[in-house]
Amino acid sequence: MKENREGVKGWLNPTRYGANRFAYWLQRLTGLGLLIYFIAHVIETSNIVYGKSAWEKMLAVTQTNEGHIVLMVVIGMCVFHAANGVRLYIAEHGKGIGRPGRPEYPYKPTSLGLGMKACIWVSVALAALAMMYGAYVLFGEA
Amino acid sequence: MKVHYYTGLAAIVLVAIHILFRLTVPEGYSASLEYENVIANYKNISYTLVLELILVTVAVHGFNGLRVILLELRQGDAWESAVKWLCIAGAVAIIAYGTRTIILASMM
Repeated sequence: MKENREGVKGWLNPTRYGANRFAYWLQRLTGLGLLIYFIAHVIETSNIVYGKSAWEKMLAVTQTNEGHIVLMVVIGMCVFHAANGVRLYIAEHGKGIGRPGRPEYPYKPTSLGLGMKACIWVSVALAALAMMYGAYVLFGEA
Repeated sequence: MKVHYYTGLAAIVLVAIHILFRLTVPEGYSASLEYENVIANYKNISYTLVLELILVTVAVHGFNGLRVILLELRQGDAWESAVKWLCIAGAVAIIAYGTRTIILASMM
């Protein structure tokens, strides 16, 4: 029997996108991006123990325009992941997901009402605002 | 998932404190990254405690998140066991490496 398993293809299939799938996909993508950044950040900051010249060599690589752009993306990922994570925490506790009901056409999920959809788009907006603030701080000193 | 939610909420607060340490330096963000300033941060016991807590909460949250994603993609006893132990090993390794940096830098 063929297994009903799509793996990453099922994850990324754009034909089934609604706001919740968009948020699901972005939460995982930003989570993976942040884990990679976290590991890299722990490794790059360890240069401090090798003295001032090692620290300054590391800064010469990371405190560049390219480094600032990477950091802006990280800021955006971090804010979206945190804001959407708080939404998921609230939903996990049964708030804002409506009451369970009989599935009736057109099968709109009560768990994704206007409030939850708004929270997803607010998370995206907050991420964009944080990226703009990050750009102001990082490039503003140049 | 409780550990994932609680480490996530704790990480929001702790990372906010970490970022404030970079943004509240009067001379600006670049000055906050100067060697002397960073060493002074590591000599502040309260701040090193925050750094250690960030290290543990983000490592647990991050590697548990990775475990959840990998278990969604594929199931099976061997796979689940391998993913669990690899994620535990990854979290322990990064916590150990980061703790080493915190201890050595605070003694400089």
